[in-house]
Amino acid sequence: MPTVVLMDVSLSMTRPVSLDGSEEFQRKNLAVHGLNMLFEHMASNYRLEFTALMAFSSLWELLVPFTRDYNALQEALSSLEDYDKTCIEAALNGVNNVVQQEWGSGCPCQVVLVTDGSLGIGKGSLRHSLQTLKHRGEDKKFPLPFPFPTKLYILCIANSEELQMTDAMDNLEHLLCLSGGDGQIFTMEGPLCMKSVQTMFGRLIDHAYSPFHAVLHCGNLSSDVQVFPRPEPMVVDEEVEPMPRVVSTDVDEVGAAATDELEDEPSATQMAGKSPNFCVLLHGSLKVEGMVALVQLGPEWYGMLYSQADSKKKSNLMMSLFEPGSEPLPWLGKISYLGPVSEAAENPYGEDDSKSPFPVQPPAKRSYAQNVTVWIKASGLQADVQKILRNARKLPDKTQTFYKELNRMRKAALAFGFLELLKGVADLLERECTLLPDSAHPDAAFQLSHAAQQLKLASTGDSQYADFDHNIAPMHTDFSTSVSSTRR
Amino acid sequence: MKMFSVAHKTVFVVDHCPYMAESSRQQVECDVLTKSRAQGVIPLAPVSKSLWTCAVECSMEYCRILYDVYPKDKLVNYIVSDSEFHILNSWRRGDQSTHELMSALAAVGPPNPCEDPECCSILHGLVAAVESLCKITELQHEKRTALMDTAERVANRGRIICLTNAKSDTHVRMLEDCIQETILDQNKLAAGSDRLMGIQQCELVLVHIYPQGEDTLVSDRPKKEISPLLTSEVHSVRAGRHLASKLNILVQQHFDLASTTITNIPMKEEQHANTSANYDVELLHHRDAHLEFFKSGDLHMAGTSTRENSFKETVTLKWCTPRTNNIELHYCTGAYRISPTDVNSRPSSCLTNFLLNGRSVLLEQPRKSGSKVISHMLSSHGGEIFLHVLNSNRSTLEDPPSISEGCGGRVTDYRITDFGEFMRENRLTPVAESSHDPSGKVPVERAKAQLERYTRYWPMIISQTTIFNMQAVVPLANLIVKETLTEEDVLTCQKTVYNLVDMERKNDPLPISTVGSRGKGPKRDEQYRIMWNELETLVKTHAGATDRHQRVLDCIIACRSKPPEEEERKKRGRKREDREDRAEKNGSKEMEDKSWQDSERLKGLLEKGEQDAEVIKDSPDSPEPLNKKPRLMVDEVQPPERAKGPVSLLSLWTNRITAANSRKHQEFVGRVSSVNNKFELYQHLKEENGMDVHENGKASR
Repeated sequence: MPTVVLMDVSLSMTRPVSLDGSEEFQRKNLAVHGLNMLFEHMASNYRLEFTALMAFSSLWELLVPFTRDYNALQEALSSLEDYDKTCIEAALNGVNNVVQQEWGSGCPCQVVLVTDGSLGIGKGSLRHSLQTLKHRGEDKKFPLPFPFPTKLYILCIANSEELQMTDAMDNLEHLLCLSGGDGQIFTMEGPLCMKSVQTMFGRLIDHAYSPFHAVLHCGNLSSDVQVFPRPEPMVVDEEVEPMPRVVSTDVDEVGAAATDELEDEPSATQMAGKSPNFCVLLHGSLKVEGMVALVQLGPEWYGMLYSQADSKKKSNLMMSLFEPGSEPLPWLGKISYLGPVSEAAENPYGEDDSKSPFPVQPPAKRSYAQNVTVWIKASGLQADVQKILRNARKLPDKTQTFYKELNRMRKAALAFGFLELLKGVADLLERECTLLPDSAHPDAAFQLSHAAQQLKLASTGDSQYADFDHNIAPMHTDFSTSVSSTRR
Repeated sequence: MKMFSVAHKTVFVVDHCPYMAESSRQQVECDVLTKSRAQGVIPLAPVSKSLWTCAVECSMEYCRILYDVYPKDKLVNYIVSDSEFHILNSWRRGDQSTHELMSALAAVGPPNPCEDPECCSILHGLVAAVESLCKITELQHEKRTALMDTAERVANRGRIICLTNAKSDTHVRMLEDCIQETILDQNKLAAGSDRLMGIQQCELVLVHIYPQGEDTLVSDRPKKEISPLLTSEVHSVRAGRHLASKLNILVQQHFDLASTTITNIPMKEEQHANTSANYDVELLHHRDAHLEFFKSGDLHMAGTSTRENSFKETVTLKWCTPRTNNIELHYCTGAYRISPTDVNSRPSSCLTNFLLNGRSVLLEQPRKSGSKVISHMLSSHGGEIFLHVLNSNRSTLEDPPSISEGCGGRVTDYRITDFGEFMRENRLTPVAESSHDPSGKVPVERAKAQLERYTRYWPMIISQTTIFNMQAVVPLANLIVKETLTEEDVLTCQKTVYNLVDMERKNDPLPISTVGSRGKGPKRDEQYRIMWNELETLVKTHAGATDRHQRVLDCIIACRSKPPEEEERKKRGRKREDREDRAEKNGSKEMEDKSWQDSERLKGLLEKGEQDAEVIKDSPDSPEPLNKKPRLMVDEVQPPERAKGPVSLLSLWTNRITAANSRKHQEFVGRVSSVNNKFELYQHLKEENGMDVHENGKASR
C-alpha cells in the first residue's frame, strides 16, 4: 500500500515553538524530525513500501516521486522551503493525480498529512472548502473521497487543546469522514518538543507501519515469516458478517495443487524468510515442480503460495489472498472438501501426472455451453428454421440431425407457447415434400410428411402430443433399414 | 451486493389470462427463400408471437443471463397467473435452471383465449408471489442455523417482476395496494412460524406489455416508495424487441451487471472459408470488472458507446491475438463470469467455443494514442468463461527481494527434490460432499492431519539425514507415515530392517560415509549407529499410532546394533530389562532425545566432510557453498575406537593379529599418546618458546 506524505510548508509552519532555555525550533523542524523518524523506521522495517513526498501551501509540488529510496526522501526533507498559505483542497487534488497516475484507481493508498492545524484563511482554506461542498459543479468536486481506497492519517504539529480553540479539529474530523473514515488524527501531547513529536510519530508507526509477522506451518515444519504488504482486515458482508475478517498470524499450509489450475486473485503479498528456513525449501520445491501451495489464513479464508520470479535471478515466495469464503475459486470447489490424494481409490493425477482432478466441473452447464434456443431476434428464429430445412433437403442422409434440430425447435416452441410456429414449420415441411425432385430417395417423403404431421399434432397444444419431454422419432420405414444395409 | 439483498429472491409473475394470447403484431419472416428455389413457390406467411410468447421468452432470457453470471444463490421463483396461480418451481437450488422452467412452461401451455376473462387475474399470481417470498431459501436456512448470533442478521428481501397487460394506472395502483396488504398479512403469519420469514423489503417491478401499434394505457413511473416495506416501479413497453431490451436492462440493474463489447474478432466467413471478417460480441458480467474505468472516469477512453436502438452502455475492448503465455496472470485482480447477450449468434458461439476449448484471449483498451494497454483477459475454467481483470498500472509488488537474501537463503543442500515428492504425495483432490468419513473430519482437516504425520520427522537438508539418502530405507519411510498399516505393510517394513542389518553385516557403504571416512572399520560402524538412531527416531514418532507401527519399532530395536552407551551400561552392571522397558515405552522421551542429540552432534561434525558428497541435490536459489574446511578436521574428531558396533570376523582376526604383533615390539611413544592417530612432533620446541600448547596439552594427557 503506497504512502504519500503530504507536508504543509505554509508560513504558519515556521511559527517558533517556545522552549525554555534551549535553542529555538519551528514547527516545521518538529515535523521534519518526526518524518525523519518515520522514514528511518521504514528503511529498516518496512522497506518495500513505496513512498512519495509532496509539499504544499497554496500550490503543491511532488518533491520525491514514489520510491523505496528513503535516503532520497530524507534528503528532500532537509531542503524544504517556506511558502505562503495552507490550501488543503488543492493539495488533495494533487495527491489524487499523483496516485492515480502511478497506481491507477484500484490500489489502496495511505496518505500522511502533516500540518500545524492552521488550515488557511478565506478562499482555499479547509473551512471554506467544507462550507461550499454542496454547491459545486461536476468539474469542481471536492477530491475526497479518492477513487482509490484510502487511509488518511493527519498528524498535527499542535496539541488538541490548541486545535479545539478554533474549529480546526472539527474541520479535520470532517475531512477524515469525507475520505471514508478510514484513518486517524494524531495530535501532540503536552508541550511541543522533539520528544512529543517522536511519541506522536511512534503512534503512527505502531498503528500503520508495523511489519506483519506470522508463522507458516506445514504439519510439523514451520517458519517465521514477514508478510508484505500487510494483509488488511476485510468485511465480507456488512450485514450477515459485520465483523472484519483478519488474517491469522498462524498460517496453515493445506496442501499443494498443480499451478495451471490456479491463478492470482486480488492481493499478492511477499513473504520474506526470517529464520533458517522451511520457506526456502518450500519455495525451491514449488519452483522446481511448478506447483502452488494452498494456505489457510483464518476461518474460511484461503490463499496460495508460489514462487514468483520477476527476473531469472531473483525469485521469491509470494502469497496471494483469495476472497474470504468457502469457495473462492469455483473451479476448485469447496476448499474444505479438498482431501488428500492418498484417500482416493485411484490417483486422480494419474500415475504419470498426466491427469488432474481440476478444474471441477459445475453441476450445470452455462447457457453458452449448451445448445440453448433463443428467438428474441428474428435472425435466431430464421436460422433455426433454415437449419431444419437444410437438413430436410438432405434426407435420408441427415435423418439424425434433421430430427435433432426439429425436436429442439419443438421444445422451445412448446415452452414459449409459440404453437403458430409449429404449424408454420409443418407447412414448410409439407411444401418441401412436394418439391422433392424425382431423384429423391423415397424415404425422404415419408420422413417429411411424418415430421409435419407430428408437428401439427403438437401445435394443437393437446397434452397427448405436446409433451415437452417427448421427442419426435424418425419414422421406421423399410427404406431406412435397406438404406443402412446397402450402405454397409 | 449483500448476501440477502432483494437480489437473493426474484419472483416472476407472468400473466396467463386470455388477453395475453393476443398477437404482439410483430411479424417474423421465417421462410427465407433462396433465389434458385423461389420460382413458383408461395412463401409461408410470416408468423407472429403472442404477448405471452414475448413475455415468456424475455423472462427466460433474463433467467439465462442471471444463471450464467450467478450460478448459485440468486434464485428465481416462477409463477403464472390466470383463474388461479401456478407455481412452476421452488426456491430450491435444484430447481434453478432454464431447462426446468421451460419444461414447466410447456406444461402450462399458451393462454386459452376462450377462458372467461372475468375469472382471470394477475392478482392470484401476485398474492402467491408474496407468500413465496416469505418461504425460506436453502441459503437463508443455512445461515440461520450456522451460528446463533447471525440468525437475526439473515434478512428476507425480494423482488417481484410482474409481466402483465394492465388496464390503466388505477389498475396498477390497485395491484400495488393489494401487494402491500398481502405483505402485512403474510408478515403476521410468518411471525408465528419457523418455516416462514417476514418480508423486510419488497421491490415490485411491473412491466406492462402491449401490442405493437397500440397506444399504452399505462404510464411509466420510476421507483417510488409505497410503504417502508414496498417500492414499486412501472415500465410500459411494447411487446417484441422493446420488451427484450427492457428486460436486458433490468437484469443488468438488478444484478449489478455491465456490458463489454469485444470488437475486432477475426472469424472465418461461412461462405468463403479462407477469408475472415471482424465481428463484435457483447458480453454481460459483474460491473466490478469495469471498476477501474468507472473510478478513473476513463470510460470514454475505453471506448464506451451508447449503441443505437438500445439504451445501454457498453465498454468496447479489442481482441488481441491469443497467447498461451500466462505470465500476465500474476497481476490479475479479479475474475468475473460472463454471459453473451446474443448467445446463439454465430460470432458469440464462435467466441465462446474458442474459449471453452481452452484458449485465452487478451483484451486491449482502445486508446486514442500511445501504447496499447491490455486490461482484461477472457478464459474458461471448468466449462465456465471468466472475464479476468488485469492490472495495467504499476504494481506495488515490483522488484521484490530474492528469497536467497533472507534467512536460510545461503543454505545449499535443501532436499528440494524430496520435498517436491512430498508435495506430490500431499496433493489435494475434490472429495464428494456426500462421502462420509468415520473420523467426522472434513477432507481438508484430513489433509492437514496427513501433513502433520508426514512431517513428524522430516530433515530439511541433505546433510542432516542419512536414512532419506538411502534407497534401502524408502519402503519403510513411505509406509510408516500412514495412518494405519496392514500386515503386509509391517512385513515390508521388517524386510527393510532385515535388509539394513544385512547391509551392516556386509559392511556396505552408507551414503553418509562415502566421503569423510578415510580408511577402515570404526568409521563405518559409527555411520551405521547414526543411521539406526535416525531410523529409530523416525519410527518412534509414529509408534504410538497403532500396534503395527509399534511392531516396526520393536523390530528395529531388536535388530539394530547396540549403541555404545548401552554396552557401557552393561559393563557397569545395569540390568538389561531396565533399558528395554524404557525403550519400549513410547513416552521414553528423555532417552530418545539424549541418544538423538548425541548422534546429531556426531553428524554435525561429519557434515563438514560430507558437503562435497555426490548425493547433494539441487537447490536452485542457493548460492555456491562456502569454502570447505580442510578434510583433516574430520579425522581429528573420529570417535574413540570403543564406539564400535558388532565386529566382523575379518576385523576380529585383524585385531588379533595386530595385538599379537604389537606384543613383539615396543610401540612408538607418539602412537601410544596420539589423538586420532596423530601426534604433533617437536612439541618441546613450542614449550620452550612459550607458545600456546592447547592441542598438545590434550594429547599428552
